Amino acid sequence: MSLIHIQNLCKHFQILNRHEGLSGAFRDLFSADYRTVEAVAGISFDIEPGEIVGYIGPNGAGKSTTIKMMTGILKPTDGIIEVNGRAPYDNRIRQAQIMGVVFGQRSQLWWDLPVIESFKILKEIYKVDQATFERHMGMFDDLVGLSALYSQQVRTLSLGQRMLCDITASFLHNPQVVFLDEPTIGLDISIKAKIRSVIKELNRERNTTIILTTHDLGDVEALCRRIIIIDKGHILYDGDIKKVNALFGAYRTLKLQIDDFSEATLQSLKEKLGRHFGTDHGITVAEVEEFWTDVTIDQARTPLSEVLNFVMSNFKVDDVRIVEISMENVVRKVYDGALG
Amino acid sequence: MRSLAEYLRLYVIIETQYIKARMQYRADFIISSIGMFFSSLATLGIFWVILNSVPTLAGWTLMEMVFIYAFYMIAISPMQILFDHAWQIRFHIQQGTFLKYYFRPLNMMFYYMSEMFDLKGLTQLIVGIALLIYASAQLSLDWTLSRLALLLLTLFSAALVQISIVVAASCAAFWVIDSYPVLGLAWKLREFSPYPMSIFDGAFRIAFTYVIPIGFVAFYPSQLFLRPDEVASLVYFSPVIGIGLFALTYWIWNQGVNSYTGTGS
Amino acid sequence: MRSYIPIARGTFMVGMVYRFGFLFTILGNIVYLGVAYYLWRSIYRYSDTINGLTFNETFLYVGLGSAIFILLKTYADWYLHYEIREGIIAIYLTKPIDLQLYMLFANLGSLLMNLMAITLPTAIMLGFVFRVSIPFGIGLFLFPFSLLLAFLISFSIDYFVGLMGFYSESVWGLSMTKEIIISVFSGALIPIQFFPEAMQKILLWLPFQAIFHTPIMMLTRPNQGMDIFLPMLAVQLSWALVLYFAARLFYNQAVKVLRVAGG
Repeated sequence: MSLIHIQNLCKHFQILNRHEGLSGAFRDLFSADYRTVEAVAGISFDIEPGEIVGYIGPNGAGKSTTIKMMTGILKPTDGIIEVNGRAPYDNRIRQAQIMGVVFGQRSQLWWDLPVIESFKILKEIYKVDQATFERHMGMFDDLVGLSALYSQQVRTLSLGQRMLCDITASFLHNPQVVFLDEPTIGLDISIKAKIRSVIKELNRERNTTIILTTHDLGDVEALCRRIIIIDKGHILYDGDIKKVNALFGAYRTLKLQIDDFSEATLQSLKEKLGRHFGTDHGITVAEVEEFWTDVTIDQARTPLSEVLNFVMSNFKVDDVRIVEISMENVVRKVYDGALG
Repeated sequence: MRSLAEYLRLYVIIETQYIKARMQYRADFIISSIGMFFSSLATLGIFWVILNSVPTLAGWTLMEMVFIYAFYMIAISPMQILFDHAWQIRFHIQQGTFLKYYFRPLNMMFYYMSEMFDLKGLTQLIVGIALLIYASAQLSLDWTLSRLALLLLTLFSAALVQISIVVAASCAAFWVIDSYPVLGLAWKLREFSPYPMSIFDGAFRIAFTYVIPIGFVAFYPSQLFLRPDEVASLVYFSPVIGIGLFALTYWIWNQGVNSYTGTGS
Repeated sequence: MRSYIPIARGTFMVGMVYRFGFLFTILGNIVYLGVAYYLWRSIYRYSDTINGLTFNETFLYVGLGSAIFILLKTYADWYLHYEIREGIIAIYLTKPIDLQLYMLFANLGSLLMNLMAITLPTAIMLGFVFRVSIPFGIGLFLFPFSLLLAFLISFSIDYFVGLMGFYSESVWGLSMTKEIIISVFSGALIPIQFFPEAMQKILLWLPFQAIFHTPIMMLTRPNQGMDIFLPMLAVQLSWALVLYFAARLFYNQAVKVLRVAGG
C-alpha cells in the first residue's frame, strides 16, 4: 500500500473581489462578490514508503496548497487524500505525530532556547522514549556535529546551522513522511551540499519518505529519483527524473548584451547561428528585456563554448552571463512537449 | 488525545526553559516589573484622587473600591501571564510565521500561547493579592472556608472572561490586516471593569453586562463578597459565565486558524 | 529646516492608509468619553461644583484630555527603541541628518494625521452629543501655541525614553512607567484641580501638566487674563527648551555606546 494516496484532488478558494477606497472597504465587509480560484484542479499520484519526491513548479502553481492538504492544514474541496491510510484533515493532531515539516527559513524551534532544550521539548511533545532519543541525537551528532551547537540559542545560529537543526529536529520522532519546503534557500554552495547529503543520509538510514518542494533544481538533481511538476493546479509531469534531467541538466542559457541592439540584430543573430550550426542545433534565441538576449543551448548537441566564440567573433558583445536553466524555463519546456 | 495532566507537564517543561532563557535579561525584567507595578495602580490612583473630593463613588467607599480593584488585578493576571502571546498573532500572520503552529501534535491554542510566559504579570498578581488582603482586613470581611472557595471560583471565572475578551479580539488578525485597533479597544475596555457598573445606564450598561461583559471581570463578582445581601440575581451567574465565554472564544479561534490557511496559496 | 518638511508629509500619507484603524480608535474614544461621562455624572451627584469646577467644565477637561492624549501619542519611544535594537539607527549616523529633528518632523506628520482623523471628530462629538460648548476668550488664540509646546515636551520625553534602547533590551517598562506618570499627573485623566492642595503645587511645576493641563485650560477657561496665561506659557516654553536640549545631550552621550560596541 502506498504511503500517500491522492486521487482527483481539488482545492478551490473563494477570493473576495476587493473594492477601492474607503467606501469600497466598507462594501467589502458585507460583500458577497467572490470569485473562485482553482489552486489545485484534480491531481492524482501515489507515493511509496522511502521515496524522495521532488514536488516542483513555479510560484502559485499549487505546490504549497497540496502540501498544506497533505499535512492536514487544509481541507480538500474534492477528491481523495490519504496519508498512511487516513485523511490528514480529519485528525490533524494524530497525523502530525507521523509527519515532520520544515518550512523554508522560518525555524520551528524555540527562538530563545538553547538548541538542546528545543530537542528535549520535542522529545516530550512527540513522546519519544529516552533510549530512542539518545540514539537519534547520537546519529544527528555524527551526521552534522549537532552537539557543538547544543548550548547555543537558536536565535544566534547562522541560517545554515538553523536549517540543519530544523531538518534533524523534523526527524527526531521518526516520522513516516517529512515535508521539506525550500530547505536550501538563501544558503551558500558548501552548506547546500551539506544539507543535501544529510537529507539523503536520513532517508537512507530510516527509509523515511521525503517530499521536497524547491526552486533549486540542484536540490532535485541531487536528491530525487522521481519528480512531480505542477503548474496552474495541474500535474504536468510525474515520473523519472532522468527525462527531466536531460532538460535542465544539458541546457544552459547564454545571456548577451549586444552593442547597438535592434530588431535587425536579433534577426541576423538567428540567421547566422542557423547557418553556422545547421538546423538541428538545439539553439533558441529570444529577446528577454531591452538589452539582454537569451540564447538557450542544448549542450548535448552544441557545445556552449563554440556558440560563445561564434557570437563574440561576429557581434560586438558588451556583456555576457551564463546561467543554468530556471524552473520557469523547465516548466515552459515541459509545456512545449519536451517530454513527449 | 493527550490528557490534561500531560499538557500541564509539557507546559511546565516549556515555561521552565523559557523563564531560564529570559533571565538573561534581568535588568529588563526588573524595569518591566516596575512599569507593570505603576501601570496596574494608575486607575486606582484616579479613584483615590476622586474619593478625596467626594465621599463615595455611586455609593461605594474608597476601601470597597480598593477591594474591587484588587479583585480586578488578580483576575487580569492570568491573561497577562499566560496569554500574552495573543498580542503577537498579527505579527505572525503578517510575516507568515503562523504556519508552524499547525505542525505539532498539540492543541494549537495551547502550543501557540505556551511560547510566551509573561513574568512581569506576576507583579500584578502579587500586588493584587496584597491589596485584596489589605482591603478585606480594613473592611473586616469574614472569610469562611466556603467563601474562600467561592472567591477562587469567581476569580477563575473572571480570569476566563478577561482572557476571552483579549484572545477573541486578537483573533481579528485572522481576518483583517490591521487588527491592532481592535485589540487596543479590548485592552482599553479592560480598564473600565473595576468601575461600579451602577454608574452606567442605557447602552453602556447593557454593553458592559451582556455584550462585552467586562462587568464580570471585577465589579459583579466582588459584590458577592462586599454586599452579599444586595446582589442582583444576575450576579450569581458570575462563577460560570467565564466558561461559556471561553468556549465561544475557543470557537472563534478555531474559525480563525481554519480560515487563515484558506487564504494562502 | 526645509528638508525635514517632506518627512512630516510622508508620515502623514502613511497614516492615511490605516483608515480602518482610525475608525476603531475613534470608536474607542467614543466608549472612553461615554465611560467618563457616566463616571463624572455620578461624582457630580453630590454637588454642582467640585474643586471649583462645574460638571461641564470637568467633562470638557477630561474629554479634551483624551483627545490631546491621542493627538500626542506618537510612539516615538517605541520606534526609536526598535530602530536601535535592530541596528537601523546606524543608517541615520551615516546620513547628513539630525536624528532628533528627523524624528520630530516625522512625528509632526502623525500629529497632523491624528488631529484630523481623531481629535477633530472627538471635539465635534463632544460639542454635539454631550452638548458641551467652549466659551470665547483670548485662550482660544493661545491654544495652538500651547499645543505645539506640549507636543515638543511630549516628544522630547518619548525621545529620551527611546534612547534608553542603547542601554536596555526592552523599553516596555520605562515606556509604561512614563505613560502612567504622564497620564495621572498631567491632567489627561483627571483635572489637576482634583488633587490635594499640596500636590497641586508640586504638579504645576513639573513638565507633565504642561502637556495636558495648560493647553486644556486655554480651552476650558479661555476668558481669563494674560496675567494667568503668560506664566503658564512661560513654564511650558522653559520645559520644552530644557527637555529638547537635555535629550540632545543624552543622545550625544548614548550614541557613544553604539560607536564603542559597534552596533
